[in-house]
Amino acid sequence: MDFDESSEDAAFRDEIRTWLAEHKQEMADTKRVPGDTPREEYAKFRDWERTLFDGGWAGIAWPKEYGGRGASLYQQAVFTEEYAQANGPERINRLGLGLLAPTLMIYGTEEQKQAHLSKTLSGDEVWCQGFSEPGAGSDLAALRTKAVREGDEYVINGQKVWTSFAQAADWIFLLVRTDPDAPKHKGITYILVDMKSPGIEVRPIVQITGYQGETGFCETFFTDVRVPASNVVGKVNDGWKVAMATLGFERGTGLGSAAAFKALLDRVVDITLHEPRYDGIAADDPDIRRRIAQGFIETRVYELNTKRVLSKLAKGDALGSEASLSKLYWSEMDARLFELGNDALGPRAELARDAADAESGGKWFGEYLYARASMIYAGTSEIQKNIIAQRVLGLPRS
Amino acid sequence: MDFDFSEEQYMLRDTVRDLLAKESTPAEVRRMWDDEKGRSPERWHKLGELGVLGLNIPEAAGGAGMDELDMVLVLEEAGRAILPEPLLEHAAVGAPLLARAGTEAQKTEWLPKLATGEAIVTVGLAGQPYVQDAGADLVILEQDGELHAATQDRLTLTPMPSVDRARRLSKVTAELDEATLMGPAGTNAAWAFDHGAAATAAELLGIGGAMLDMTIAYAKEREQFGHKIGSFQAVQHKLAETYLLVETAKAAVYYAAYALAKDLPDAQIHVSVAKAYASDAERRANYESLQIHGGIGFTWEHDLHLWLKRGRALEAQYGDADWHRRRIADWVYAQR
Repeated sequence: MDFDESSEDAAFRDEIRTWLAEHKQEMADTKRVPGDTPREEYAKFRDWERTLFDGGWAGIAWPKEYGGRGASLYQQAVFTEEYAQANGPERINRLGLGLLAPTLMIYGTEEQKQAHLSKTLSGDEVWCQGFSEPGAGSDLAALRTKAVREGDEYVINGQKVWTSFAQAADWIFLLVRTDPDAPKHKGITYILVDMKSPGIEVRPIVQITGYQGETGFCETFFTDVRVPASNVVGKVNDGWKVAMATLGFERGTGLGSAAAFKALLDRVVDITLHEPRYDGIAADDPDIRRRIAQGFIETRVYELNTKRVLSKLAKGDALGSEASLSKLYWSEMDARLFELGNDALGPRAELARDAADAESGGKWFGEYLYARASMIYAGTSEIQKNIIAQRVLGLPRS
Repeated sequence: MDFDFSEEQYMLRDTVRDLLAKESTPAEVRRMWDDEKGRSPERWHKLGELGVLGLNIPEAAGGAGMDELDMVLVLEEAGRAILPEPLLEHAAVGAPLLARAGTEAQKTEWLPKLATGEAIVTVGLAGQPYVQDAGADLVILEQDGELHAATQDRLTLTPMPSVDRARRLSKVTAELDEATLMGPAGTNAAWAFDHGAAATAAELLGIGGAMLDMTIAYAKEREQFGHKIGSFQAVQHKLAETYLLVETAKAAVYYAAYALAKDLPDAQIHVSVAKAYASDAERRANYESLQIHGGIGFTWEHDLHLWLKRGRALEAQYGDADWHRRRIADWVYAQR
């Protein structure tokens, strides 16, 4: 057991820090809270992806043959950590880089890899995810958007929902039903669709943050959309397996994110020190102090567990149940930390973002709501518990 | 960075696990509950032969000269097997404390015997009202700002039976003087407290893991309403949440051992994280295991209560979760 960083990793960290420091102004100009992105500003985020790519910071752990650095997952985590500490902007193509690309590396054809990996890396292809439907949320396999084969094409009809980044995206990775008669998990196909295809309509949905006319998620409608059959990833009717790989990557993207939660805890400690109460400050309240300590414990234990997982991955172990454990852990911790911040803020917590006194320049309450969202997206906490119970502990399905 | 143990460390763990699976069975622990002394010299001797009793004693003094990282997995196994003997007090705290803070004469006289297990040492720090195995050959006591190492002729013991009848607790009054003096308590007593807390966290990890394993196995076989109870979502979610806590506690406990072994400047905060988190994780396993076993778990005949009682006792040992949270909070705010 050894927690000292190798000289190579330390040099890598220095290189990142230097680069991020040089781009401080650009980051400040691009920075927004997650989802709080006016459509007119998408171009800025695309430019930023390009800047990261030019700096060699897109696809750090990607193999060199796909244009990546071929660095270790540990170094990828170091980047995530330093990026969070530098308060880096939202990554508009995080679904493409973090979810679609690693899925293609496993299941994609050579042509698909050639067509999409380098463009995804450079930010020229921004991706969104077409999984959930109005009738298929936690029960994802109940999806009904259908694709019918006609010659060399599939014709797609149906509706997807909660498609984040749909308005910004060039492409969508989509789950469709190709065999309506098969058992529900066996008739699903994973297919890549150009968002410029005729018949696609994107309607933004206003989220509970109330940020009108900005991203967040959308409904995406498909009416007779024609897609080349060569865009199927994996085998036809075998898309569930491919989708599970994507979801594994989605749930496992927390590696290196401990720094963000430590930064959040620091903000909350600051609030407890400065926020006046009826008497004194929150930091004098033994119950608040106890919860701050618990927040410290949880962020620390999270950090140690991400290191433990990274260490296992470095030895060639696959990311298995850790993804569900990690996702369940961090999402609930995130919400608890914000809730503690709310309690310390007291009456100031409810202030809207245009109120002069609102915390963090008005961003606080929206960030708090996104923490609540994290317990829902990428599989709710309850779904993660089902997965842990059945696949890790081997308990029987009901 | 490498967050893993060495082959040798795993081998030692497996050897101890195999030994205790044979020698510290529930039936054997029950036998100790009813035994006058509550201890098996044969089992102690076998642990001595494996080298774990002198694991953290320097080689020059007859020990194995290994560190807290070598010890942590052994302690986890002792917890899993609810070992009756005072491995924690002797090998993880008492003996290395004497090696660190004893006089030359004390070390020369005692360490070789402690290393083999021929003599047993236990510890009573200030604020610790009852001493485990106070009938030991040597009892290290913190009193009036000093550490002393006393033999039985200096001590008066009042037994305080525990609900966990394998724990043998006593109130101790002692006649201490220059002849028993090790030195000022100071940092050495604090060192012993942190080692006790980290070691207790390791045992709690094993206890929580054992209760969870028993309960998962039970949920897979017990049927109600015509189905295995482990197929019910209410039961599945309890077990998933408990598993999450017990599994994530490992990293905290192992890192605390690392921090102590490397003598990191903020080691005591890592120890507090481990003790608070492992205590909470074990508490959750403690609750859910009885709840899921239901009525059968409430019987004397079922073995579950052997773990329930040991776990509950160790939650309070060397500072409970709230005590450690208070220490963390004071530290967090002192950084500002």
